[in-house]
Amino acid sequence: MSRFWSGWVMFLVVLNLGITLFLFVWAQRLKIPTRSDGTTGHVWAHGVLREGVRRLPLWWVLFSAGMFIVGFAYLALYPGFGSYQGRLGWTSASEWLQDTQVNDAKLAATLQPLSSLSVEELARNDNARALGERLFLDNCAACHGTRALGNPSIGAPNLVDDDWLYGEGTLMASVLDGRTGAMPPWGPALGHEGVKEVASYVLSLSGVKAPADWVAAGKTRYEAICVACHGADGRGNPALGAPNLTDSVWLYGNDFASVAASIEHGRSGVMPAWRHRLGEEQVRMIAAWLHSQGST
Amino acid sequence: MPLQYKYLEKIEKNAGLLGALIALMVSIGGLAEITPLFIKAHTVEPAPGFKPYDPLRLAGKDVYVREGCYACHSQMVRTLRFETQRYGDYSAASESVYDRPFQWGSKRTGPDLARIGGKYSDDWHRLHLLTPRQVVPESNMPNYPWLAERELDGEDIQARMRVLKFLGDPYSDEEIAAAPAAVKDKTELDALVAYLQGLGVYNVAAKEAGHE
Repeated sequence: MSRFWSGWVMFLVVLNLGITLFLFVWAQRLKIPTRSDGTTGHVWAHGVLREGVRRLPLWWVLFSAGMFIVGFAYLALYPGFGSYQGRLGWTSASEWLQDTQVNDAKLAATLQPLSSLSVEELARNDNARALGERLFLDNCAACHGTRALGNPSIGAPNLVDDDWLYGEGTLMASVLDGRTGAMPPWGPALGHEGVKEVASYVLSLSGVKAPADWVAAGKTRYEAICVACHGADGRGNPALGAPNLTDSVWLYGNDFASVAASIEHGRSGVMPAWRHRLGEEQVRMIAAWLHSQGST
Repeated sequence: MPLQYKYLEKIEKNAGLLGALIALMVSIGGLAEITPLFIKAHTVEPAPGFKPYDPLRLAGKDVYVREGCYACHSQMVRTLRFETQRYGDYSAASESVYDRPFQWGSKRTGPDLARIGGKYSDDWHRLHLLTPRQVVPESNMPNYPWLAERELDGEDIQARMRVLKFLGDPYSDEEIAAAPAAVKDKTELDALVAYLQGLGVYNVAAKEAGHE
């Protein structure tokens, strides 16, 4: 704060406190002239109402005096009087830092005995599960749902069904560094008919009934294009995050329209990276809670 | 103390004078607390490397304001431990220098958004803006279906950038000239998602430069 504005604030504080303090003292010592009957002579309603004079109630005087004391004490201890920082040296940032350090120490003390445990062991630990569930609800539930069952409208996978797009044991890597799906759009190459045929073939892989001629035509197209990632048998490739097409797990839904849309427009679902926001220890707690919910 | 009652009597019996003196006393607090901040707001410097909104995010910011998102979402992480633990580093004044008006907000029906950038995917934001309950079943946020239908007007964005430049935001002439191309064929939904995905992401330098 510049010298001018500091002086400006100080001047106004002194002015305000000076006037109010003066009024407080003056008003109590003031003699208000009264008549012999004890009234001021102001009369209303034909003499029914007359203005008397009373001292200020003691509670009011004490309360006001207390306000002055608190006000002066505040200005002496805390920042408020111009650029004077107050005797306590208090700042919101220092209070935050202190609170955070206390809390960090508590968290570290909770996490320390957990650091040597495996995710399976953590899943049986009450503290770890509680931490994990809280973190999951705050950070993961928006996409994966509060029970971690996933959300086909954005392709957020179910996390408790034992099916891992990138293979088992990749949860930590997926959460910490994120993932980006890379299903290209095949609409332009396949055309409307081609998309329908491939979708039919893909659905047939998991036992869904589809028109036989479309399935047969789709198989030919599949073997020319899709095999590169999803494999000749349609079992996918966890190294690429290419889903298994022969099981009943569908990221974006198992109806014909959803599968056709995936083929025509492609999909690039994004799992954001959480390393910076959460850190490895906290992600392990989330993994533990998921494990306790039934994931492997 | 031989102080005269007549001075007080004069004030008591003259409503106009009483009113004027009350106004004078009441205004002292405001003069001390508010007027220095008028001047101070203009002295807050952006952190090194912190740039004004690019055209798409600028358009998104205006959509955010138009739709009244600030009525339910704040953009200020306060200096409280439980806030920084949930949302990330607390906000600094230097992060709001290009916000006209600032979007700190005064009420949270939804969560704070100051550090929302990068937390969720673009697809999540799109779906969440159009039909929030498809991703968060317990949400009470309204649907904003019209955002996907309205295209941005490049020349309009250009005009806004010129005004902001006039007000002191460091846009170069080349940036303003390139604005229509940057928002071509983009919808208000694209703009708002770009704006949200930038919140708290582009102003990391502000954090490193230290808080006040």
